[in-house]
Order: sequence, then C-alpha cells, then structure tokens
Amino acid sequence: MNTSCAATLTRNADHWVGRFVAMASPCEILVDDVQASLAQQVLDVVASEAWRIERKYSRYRTDSAVHRINDSAGSETVVDDECANLLDFAATLTRLSEGAFDITSGVLRKAWTFDGGNHVPSQAQIDALLASVGWHRVEWQRPVLQLQAGMQIDFGGIGKEYAVDSAADQVERIAPGLSCLINFGGDVAVRNARPDGKPWRVGIENCTRMGAAERVVQLSRGALATSGDARRFVFRDGHRYSHILDARTGWPVRNAPHSITVAADTCTQAGTLTTLAMLKGCNAESLLRESGAQYWLQ
Amino acid sequence: MKNNDNLNAALAAATCALLGSAVAAPVAAQEESSGWSFDSTLLYYGESDDRVRDISAAVAAQRDFGDERKFSATLTADTLTGASASGAIALDRPQTFTSPSGRAVYTTAAGAVPLDDTFLDTRFALNASWTQPLARLYTVSAGVGFSTEYDYTHLGANLSLARDFNKRNTTLSAGVAWSQDDVDPVGGRPIPLAQMLDVGNDSNKRNGGESKDVLDLLLGFTQVLNRTTVLRVNYSYSDSSGYLNDPYKLLSVVDPLTGDTLARVPIGQGPDGVYLFESRPDARTKQSLYAEVKHAFGTPVMHFAYRYMTDDWGIDSHTGEVRLRWPLGDGYIEPQLRYYTQSAADFYRASLVNGAALPRYASADFRLGDFDATTVGVKYGHGTTGGNEWSIRAEYYQQTGSVPQEQIIGNQARREQYPDLSAVIVQFGYRFRL
Repeated sequence: MNTSCAATLTRNADHWVGRFVAMASPCEILVDDVQASLAQQVLDVVASEAWRIERKYSRYRTDSAVHRINDSAGSETVVDDECANLLDFAATLTRLSEGAFDITSGVLRKAWTFDGGNHVPSQAQIDALLASVGWHRVEWQRPVLQLQAGMQIDFGGIGKEYAVDSAADQVERIAPGLSCLINFGGDVAVRNARPDGKPWRVGIENCTRMGAAERVVQLSRGALATSGDARRFVFRDGHRYSHILDARTGWPVRNAPHSITVAADTCTQAGTLTTLAMLKGCNAESLLRESGAQYWLQ
Repeated sequence: MKNNDNLNAALAAATCALLGSAVAAPVAAQEESSGWSFDSTLLYYGESDDRVRDISAAVAAQRDFGDERKFSATLTADTLTGASASGAIALDRPQTFTSPSGRAVYTTAAGAVPLDDTFLDTRFALNASWTQPLARLYTVSAGVGFSTEYDYTHLGANLSLARDFNKRNTTLSAGVAWSQDDVDPVGGRPIPLAQMLDVGNDSNKRNGGESKDVLDLLLGFTQVLNRTTVLRVNYSYSDSSGYLNDPYKLLSVVDPLTGDTLARVPIGQGPDGVYLFESRPDARTKQSLYAEVKHAFGTPVMHFAYRYMTDDWGIDSHTGEVRLRWPLGDGYIEPQLRYYTQSAADFYRASLVNGAALPRYASADFRLGDFDATTVGVKYGHGTTGGNEWSIRAEYYQQTGSVPQEQIIGNQARREQYPDLSAVIVQFGYRFRL
C-alpha cells in the first residue's frame, strides 16, 4: 500500500503536529517551533522510516524480509545486518525471560483469538502448535538463520519500539539537537529536551474508559512504552487472560496488570521492560520495582 | 537484587547493540498529577516529665489545574497541654507564684525548676497558596495564612517569583512574606521588668493586645548538578518589630551572695519571692543561610542540609541534618539525624541580682539560652498499589543547655540550672488522591 500521501502536518500554538498511519497504529510527531520546511522534512523522514520498517518486517507482506524467512522455513536464509541485530536482540530477550518471550510463538495465534470473548482452545490444539515454537529449535549463526519447517517468526513486541528509536535517529541525523516527540501507537521517544525546558505531555489511555487520558506524563527526554490488554483479552473461569502468550506453555499470562507503562532512556528498553513484566503475570510489579525504572500500572 | 542488576545490564547492552552507537540522553519523565491530592498527618509530641504535650492533625490538599497551575491549602488543628519552664530558678524551698490570669496561685516543689502548668491551648491554622507560570520561564506564587488560638492571632501573606535558566537546570527565586500577629495575653500584658504581685493586684499589667509585624525576604538558588544531584541554597532576612516578649516568662531576683531568690511576704495570696516579668527588645533582625544537597546513589537517596542563623539579639545557631531514604520492600525506610546548637541572646540572664543596676532587657527563657539539641528518628513509608502512601515517623529529641558560669551565684551551683529536655515525636501520615 502506498501511504506516503497520508502524512499530514498542522501547526499548533508553539509546535507542529504530524500524523500518519503505520504498523496498524496511528502515528504522531510533535516538533518544536521551527520553520515549516524543516518540520515537513522531519515528518517525511519519520514517516519514511516507519513505513520502511513496516515493509521490511511485516508478516503479511509477501515482499518482506520476515515473510521470506517464514516462507523458507526448513532451509537457510541469509539476513542483513539490521535483521540480524533484531534477531540477536530477540534471542537475548528469550534468555532473559527464561523462554517466556519468543519470536517464534506467533503460530499460537492460530489457536487463540483475543476478542474479549471466552473461547479457549483445547490443550491438544496448543500442544500441536507448541511443536513449532521455541528459539532453541532455531539454527542461528549470524547472518544465517534456519527455522524448522512449520515455524514462523514475527517481531511483535520489538518492532514498533525499535521503529520509534530508529526514527529518532533519523531526525537527529537531519536536525541535530531538535526536540521532537515521536509516538507510534503509544510508544514514544524524545531525543532532545526543548530549548525552554518545557516538557512534552504524553497522555496514557485509561484501559477501562477508552479514549479518556488516565494520566499525563511530562516527558522532557527519553522514552515511554505501554503494553496493555484493554481490547485484547479472554475471560474464562473467573480468570482474565491477557493477549500476551507465554511461549513455554502456549497459554496467555494470567492476572497480569491491565496496562504497564515504563519510562526508559530508549523506547526499545522501555518496551522490553513492559513485555518482560507482563510475562511475569501477577509478579509484574516486583520486576518493575527492582528494575529501578519509572513505571505506571493500571 | 543481583538478578535484576544483571537484567538491567543485559538489557542495556542488548539495546545498545541493537540501536548502534547512538547514545540517547537519560530519561526525564514525571507524572502530571490531576485532580486533588491530599496529605494528611496526625502528630504526637510529648516532652518528658509531663511537660508540653501537643497533638496536631493536619490536612494538606493540592489541586493541579495543568500547565503548572497549582492550588494548595493546609488546615491544621493543634491541642497543647502541659507545663513549660517559667524562667524562675529552682530553690531549696517550695515556691509560690501568681498564675498568669492574676486570679490564683500555684506552687512548685523544692528543688524543682519552676514550671507554669496552667496552659491549655487549641490552635487552628489555615494556609492557602496559588502557583502559576507568569511568562515563559517565570513562575509566580502567592499565599495567605491565618491562625488563631486563645491569646494569639496570626495573619500572613507571601509572594514569590522564580525564573528558570539553563534548560531549567538552574532556578533563581525571590520572595517576600509579611505577617502580623496579635497577642492578647491571659490576664493582661505584664509591664516589662515589673514585679509579680498578689492575686487581685493588676497594677503590673496593661490591658488589651499588642501586635508584632514580621517581614521576611528570601533569595533562593537551585541547581541541578547532574542527573543524580541537586543543590539548593537559600538566604533569608527577617525583620520583626513590635511586641516580642513572652508574657508568661519570669526572672528570679536573687541575693548577690547566696544566689537564692529574695523572699517576699504576700498580703493574702501571692508570690513568696521576688519575680520580675521579662523584657525583650521590640525589634529583631535575623539572617539565615541554608544549603541542601540531594544525591541519589542508585535508588537510595541522601539528603544533607545545613543552616546558619544569626540575629541582632546575639543568637547564632547551626543546624545540620542528614537523611537517607533506603528502598525496602514495597516502601522505604528513612533514618534521620539532626543536630542543633545555639548561643545565648545577649540579654539572657539566669536570674537578676538584687542591688545591681536593672538591665534594660533581660529574659531567663531557656529558649534564648545556650543549648544543643539532637534528634534521631526513622520514617517508614509504604506505597499502595493505588499510588497512595502511608507512613510512620518516630523521633527522639534530646536538648541539653547550660547557664554561663559567671551567672551562677552561691547556692545555685548545686541545683539544676538549665533543665534538660527530651521529647518523643510520633507521626502518622497518609497521602492519597481523589
């Protein structure tokens, strides 16, 4: 799809607002008061980066690198540096989460639909899919990747946060020192503080009242990432199952917070902490507390 | 802890490898509060030997209207009971005094430092303030305060202006505060250095109240030194004028050889010694310099503060305080240590000598004497999942003072001259939002 015409720039009181859609999310940038031409350049570079990453790592696009990997499961694929870096990063998260996080767990979604209903698949269905899940089944010798037949990878839980940081890099390259807030569907980064020191204000959506901002975080620098299950969960036998699947069991994490927001230096770090915490279920808060990061729970 | 240090390190390393050499600046985020937040406290202060006891309840409410506009108000109710040292010296015999009302007498035991145990007071105080940005980088704050108790009314107002510099890492501020206090002592205002008289004789008192005006000027400087350290320095100048006496404080008039209080024979009910009411200057200028450093060692936070105060009554004081906030489970524990020392006012006299020229100003109020005080305490705070916090704080206060050697006459040397004081402070707090 050619979405490049869909990026719009508007002027607000003391900043510019740019909007577009990428990675199935509303994306937004706020640019400190600069000339219109520079604001437009910044929006172009951010939107291009978001669309590049979407094209390259989408599971659904037949021309994407991820599709190429999944399509050739069973045989070796050579990946480029960026993709290799993402795979290394994913492998580290798998290790840190003791296997709960796994980029090969996407096939489990064939059994689980998180639509707020109460449909739960049979254990036999899950067991069958689990045979195709697990980073330990993957041969990864940078830059060569070999999945077993029937396995798939996807960069859900990493890709969007990475795109935010990567777009921030691109802005820094064309406009060093410029204060710009990048927000891809609730994952946010600010590379430089505004010259007057005034923070950007980021609303965190209330998961029980859609659209109403529950809290506002003032972000001068750094990043915020939010992981939540406002719309995506299954309710069964008195337990609320989040959409986050534990790759070891094939079951969603039980009794995790509805929403976790973390502040960190980079969006990737913040997003990773929200994911690792969600995977801890009811122990999410102790992981966050001990990480020393600022966090907000709902 | 170890595992999570590893988690953080591994995560930082992995992120760095993924994002390349691009170094992002450290995160600076804080939640903007919305709606009302409340800070409620219940405090007990109890001095040893059944002296002053204070129970105080306070509620501070704050409302954030966004865009850095904030309203706050504090309501406090206090109940004070007990006895405090009157300034008269101890004797080997019991001593009888006329009570401040002038309608009764009270007697203190032989050997005891005389306490005036007739006070019981309830105080209500209300303070309110509004803060908002004035222009780019400027913040203005204005407040009013009011308090009332049986013999005292306070009315105050303040205004301050702050400007941020250097990407808001530096803040300079200037403020002015003014207050007027009206004192209407029980039984009238004693004439300074007039003698305590028999019950029913009020010729040593004047009727009606007097007032005191206080003007404070404040200059402040706050500097973020780095990501983990903040320095704050304040200078303040305070000028008080008007009625500055404590209407309930006395001085004993003593024999130049024995050091014992001159005896007096009351006609009917009255004091059995010669006691004069204190006399303080009607103006006082204080200057103080305060410096505070806050430093975060990872999650533990250290707070160190020092204050120097000097005034034209001759009192110099130094206060040092250190607190360390240490995370513990779902909360934190915060031990604290404070040390205070002051020199006596020029007109501080343990007693007045019979036959010597009467000084213009004299007070035996121990709070104007030479003393040191140490406070040790600990606070435990616990955060609830709803974002509220309850806390408990316990402190022990120990004060030790002395009377200058040259003021100790005759028999006074073998009696307690400056009573030690210790106190226990316990405070419960609950902070919540609506």
